[in-house]
Amino acid sequence: MKYRILIVLFLSSVLVLQGCASKEASVNYNNSETEIVSVNDPLEKVNRVVFQFNIIFDKLILRPIAVTYRAIVPEFVRNRVTYSLNNLGMPITAVNNVLQGELRKAGVSTSRFIINSTVGILGFFDPAASMGLVSENEDFGQTLSVWGVESGPYLVLPFLGPSTPRDFAGMLSTSLLDPMYQVGGGSAPDSLRTYRMGTGAVDFRSQNIEILDDLQNNSIDYYAAVRSFYSQGRESQASNNLEINTQDQENDIFDDFDIDESYVGPDIEIIYD
Amino acid sequence: MIKIKNYSWILIFLLSFAAYAQSSQFAQEEEFVSNFADKAIEILSDESISENDKTSRFTNVVMNAIDLNLISKFVLSKTWKNSTDEQKERYLIAFKDYFINSYANKLDQYSGEQVQIVGSEAAGKYVIVESNIVREGTDTLKINLKWRLINRDGDIKIIDLNIEGISLVIAQREEFQSFLANNDNDIEKLIDKIITVSN
Repeated sequence: MKYRILIVLFLSSVLVLQGCASKEASVNYNNSETEIVSVNDPLEKVNRVVFQFNIIFDKLILRPIAVTYRAIVPEFVRNRVTYSLNNLGMPITAVNNVLQGELRKAGVSTSRFIINSTVGILGFFDPAASMGLVSENEDFGQTLSVWGVESGPYLVLPFLGPSTPRDFAGMLSTSLLDPMYQVGGGSAPDSLRTYRMGTGAVDFRSQNIEILDDLQNNSIDYYAAVRSFYSQGRESQASNNLEINTQDQENDIFDDFDIDESYVGPDIEIIYD
Repeated sequence: MIKIKNYSWILIFLLSFAAYAQSSQFAQEEEFVSNFADKAIEILSDESISENDKTSRFTNVVMNAIDLNLISKFVLSKTWKNSTDEQKERYLIAFKDYFINSYANKLDQYSGEQVQIVGSEAAGKYVIVESNIVREGTDTLKINLKWRLINRDGDIKIIDLNIEGISLVIAQREEFQSFLANNDNDIEKLIDKIITVSN
């Protein structure tokens, strides 16, 4: 236990230091002439190999489980599972709200957990939301980002999928910060954690069967598509917290391509089969 | 804790008020999105028409609502400018087929979701209309959609859809850029790949 805390502290400090250093290094990266959107992926070759491995793992194990799960479990029950997973994540969210200095949000998250665990029958329902108590999930990776830690290069982890050094460190520390783990320490919280990880993966996968199938079949470059989805998703979660309007930054991307209106393009007839 | 809870009620009250006050800022654009969603949903939920008919009608509605030429150019980025007119034409045709193919034959997956407009805001020279899709069978599991619109003197077109923080146009652009970077920046190879994938 103590050993694990040391690892987290070590990783966090390395990341904070590296975050300071990388601000200088990133200048060169943006000067590259061929790329307008700079994608931070120096390990692309290795990542692509791990990505291929994950696709096989998904094809053989995760996707079949998710398909079966959706086929045999009624929608009502599956929605209850999604709710209960959200509820089990609330204590972690509350801790991270505090670490991010968001005491009001921490109040909302805590109230949500208390209300939904009791009135909402072990979190299977969400009466707190109908009372106006709504909150976003927060993890330690997002807290590190609020603390100014740069995400670092894109990483694809075996089994776990897309990540970055910051998010991986956040994931490792999340279990340490989880109040349910700290308070209980025994077998009950452990099995809840296993439920959350295992069922969480199946719940997520079963909600995205068609989307991921389509993405895989219709991609020009599936690896790059997933990388973009992950990076954009994490960035938008982080910007929710930083209270900096990244809208401006995003508009730069949209504006930076100056629109060539001179070439209108052919009048193409719409053909489909 | 009770104090914090009281604060949070006030905060939520203020926030919901702010969202309400904001929502009429770009009435024209909001109406455009809600009309588009209504028309699309009407086609999607029509059980009486064939799958092919559905795709054709849906495509008509989509093509009238989006600026596909602008999107096509944007996702190609710098390579667009360095291409010949012949390449541009081939690319535009290929991308259009690719785009239609991405939803064709999947329209029967629609299961009654509704689009609720939440509000709108200016974003540079664009307007962003925010909306939610409510997951079927629940009232609280929502998917957030942000529509990026360009308004040229009342002629409104959609140029991007952002789902839960993920811009589809930016994702497409990063994908094409990655493919080009791994294939000698050759647009011919990209066009061939696009044609292969859409067939």
